[in-house]
Amino acid sequence: MERVKTTCIIDDDPIYIYGTKRIIEELDFCDKLIEYHNGQDAIDGMAQMVKEGKDIPSMIFLDLNMPVMNGWDFLEEFINIPYNNKEDVTIYIISSSIDPRDLVKVKDYNIVHNYVLKPVSPDELRTMIEQAVIKV
Amino acid sequence: METISANFLIKYSPSSIAILDKEMRFAAHSNVWLEEFGGSFDSIIGKSYYEVLPDTPLELKEIHLDCLGGAINKNNGKKIISSNGTIQWLKWKINAWKDHNEEIGGLIIVQEDITEAKRREELLLRAEKVARIGGWEIDMTSNRVFWTQVTKEIHEVPEDFVPDLEGGINFYKKGKSRDEITRLVSQALEDGTPWDTELILVTAKNNELWVRAKGETEIVNGKCVRIYGTFQDIDKQKKIELKFAEAKERLEVATKGANIGIWEYDIETNALVWDDNMYALYGIQKSDFNGEYEAWQAGLLPADKARGDKEIELAISGEKEFNTMFRVVWPNGEIRHIRAIAVSQFNNEGKVVKLIGTNWDITELKTTQLQLLRNRIALKETFQNSAVGLAMVDLDGTFKEVNQSLCDTLGYTESEFYSMSFVDITHPEDLAKDLVLLQKIIDRKQDTYQTEKRYYHKNKSIVYSVLTVTAGKNLNGELSYFNAQIINISNRKAIEKELIRAVAIAKDQNESLLNFAHIVSHNLRSHSSNMTMISGFLDKEENADEQKALLAMLRDAANGLMDTVTHLNEVVHVKLGTPEIMKSINLFETIKNVEKNLNQLLEEKNAVCHIHLSEDINIQGVQAYLDSIFLNLFTNSIRYSSPERNPVITISAFEEDNSLILLFSDNGLGINLDRHRKKIFGMYKTFHKNKDAKGIGLYMTKNQLEAMDGKISVESTEGSGTTFKLIFKLTA
Repeated sequence: MERVKTTCIIDDDPIYIYGTKRIIEELDFCDKLIEYHNGQDAIDGMAQMVKEGKDIPSMIFLDLNMPVMNGWDFLEEFINIPYNNKEDVTIYIISSSIDPRDLVKVKDYNIVHNYVLKPVSPDELRTMIEQAVIKV
Repeated sequence: METISANFLIKYSPSSIAILDKEMRFAAHSNVWLEEFGGSFDSIIGKSYYEVLPDTPLELKEIHLDCLGGAINKNNGKKIISSNGTIQWLKWKINAWKDHNEEIGGLIIVQEDITEAKRREELLLRAEKVARIGGWEIDMTSNRVFWTQVTKEIHEVPEDFVPDLEGGINFYKKGKSRDEITRLVSQALEDGTPWDTELILVTAKNNELWVRAKGETEIVNGKCVRIYGTFQDIDKQKKIELKFAEAKERLEVATKGANIGIWEYDIETNALVWDDNMYALYGIQKSDFNGEYEAWQAGLLPADKARGDKEIELAISGEKEFNTMFRVVWPNGEIRHIRAIAVSQFNNEGKVVKLIGTNWDITELKTTQLQLLRNRIALKETFQNSAVGLAMVDLDGTFKEVNQSLCDTLGYTESEFYSMSFVDITHPEDLAKDLVLLQKIIDRKQDTYQTEKRYYHKNKSIVYSVLTVTAGKNLNGELSYFNAQIINISNRKAIEKELIRAVAIAKDQNESLLNFAHIVSHNLRSHSSNMTMISGFLDKEENADEQKALLAMLRDAANGLMDTVTHLNEVVHVKLGTPEIMKSINLFETIKNVEKNLNQLLEEKNAVCHIHLSEDINIQGVQAYLDSIFLNLFTNSIRYSSPERNPVITISAFEEDNSLILLFSDNGLGINLDRHRKKIFGMYKTFHKNKDAKGIGLYMTKNQLEAMDGKISVESTEGSGTTFKLIFKLTA
């Protein structure tokens, strides 16, 4: 499997982050893993990276329901960031929400690669990563 | 001897004869002479002629002298004006007599006073002339025709014209007149039938004139020996007569066509004359009418008899012209309305002697009029009593006529309407649309339109209506006014509004329910999926520390799940359970209690509370909810207080309508409402990184308030503070 340089998890649920991190480490496909606990922190963090001339994470797992700034608001802000490696960024929305409205809304955002329902099994995750990497 | 017998003869002569000597002395005379000319003399023998007749005119004296000279003088009739002026007509024959020596001895005068006869003759002639009656005579035996002067004048022939029978007949106009006269004359000659006819003559000067020719015959021994008669110029009268006949005929045609009857009432004789049309009007036969006033009366409807008589009386007395209407009853029972007018004819003393009048049948007219009146009344009643507002509007928009319903609907009186145009009471937003549609009618593009519009009631409230306008046309089919029908649909509109509101509420609630469901399911899923994940790791994990950590996480997830389920219960409970347990609660007490419970926390944070609230305010609510609400508000204010200052909480309240408005203010961090206004009362929404925040507090507060029929809203400035506005229902 190809390697991804940096992966980012944006989610407010600590248990979920723990679990996801563990799976990613087992799969061992990326060099670095960053986590943010809400949309606002993620935006601030990425803005900082851009300022420093660094690349932003090429794979992002985004939760929808977060305090302060939720997933949708994050996406709105994200597309305005002048980041360098735009084409390389793959975003997955990973959420517990089965609200059909959310499912539909995903289609409005081209940069979202897919919508995945929690919980994500290791096998699913592996598949997602493989697909993403192939795309890259 | 001779002389005596001669004298005897003379004495008893039947004519006036006198014998005079050369000195004009009476030698002998007849008794008749004495009677006629003797005057008052007893005896005139030996007296002079001129003594007996002193008024003898000179003319006569001269004739005497002449005759004494041997002349013979006779005259058939001459007008003598005596010296005293008397007019006398005399007829005489005078000649001289000779004695036995053949010498003139004197005069024999045979004289007759024909004054009387002459006078009559003269008068007759004059009458003839005046009446233009000329006489004529034909002697059948000699075939001689005689015409008087006037006859000749009528024929316009000269005086010396000599007529004959054939010529006479030829004067008649060729054709009907000539044929007629020929026939009459032949008839007369045959059997002596007299005639009296009016024919046209053509005079010698070619003038046509009407004459009345009368003829009679004298039959002797069965043979006609003489025909005689008169001609009268009746041209003028005849022409008048003819004109009259023409006019009469015209009148007859006119009255017959128009069914007008003409009548004439002679007051003195009580005779009533009817023309043919009258019978038809009264429905009777000519033979049934006896020509008297009472006959007319009998035809009247009993109810109208008295009035009819009175009107006739007034006409007769000259007080009032006869111009009226009455009803007649036909023998078959039918009742007809008759219109009657008459003119009065006066005699020399100014008294009315005759009434000449007309009658005509106006039953159809009357019936139509009544029907029209009935229709009009019915229409008016319908108009007035219609449950729908009706109006007739002038072309300039002014109300012409309105019914009671419209007055009730819009609150104006009739007279107020009549000084208004519909423009004055139409809602301005609906006016343009109305006028556009109205113009379509004016332009004849359509005859009617219907629209919804708002009117202003007199009390300024709005009346929702459905308006239907139709063109009102005059007899020529031209647009003359508008018919408007206005139906008040305010009720309908109110119900509509209510319905829309209810639907909106339902929609709202549905959405909030949906949200709720999604949120809850999301949370349930989160926790349960975490549990699954952790369990999965636990299975594989061998490291003891790691296992411990995992167990702890599992516990958290389980707790989280529990919390969610609890919240779910609470929310459901609030949404479903409230109405039964609403009570009257003292607000001040409640707040004070909560404050007391939080005492420790408040002290810790150096928070200050200002409570400006009347102690006797009671609101409808659930104690548990109220506790929860204020607990939440206090806790939030503390939790989100500004690190730069001590928290200050201000609570104030005031009454408005039936509600209590409570303002809960703090001086904390404030909320960016531009960003979060929609989410602030949402479920599981937090805006700060505060770990304690579950994001459900305000959601619950809102639900609890709404369950008590209240409301909550928020105003805030980031960096300064936040104010929550709560609305409670006051205890009645």
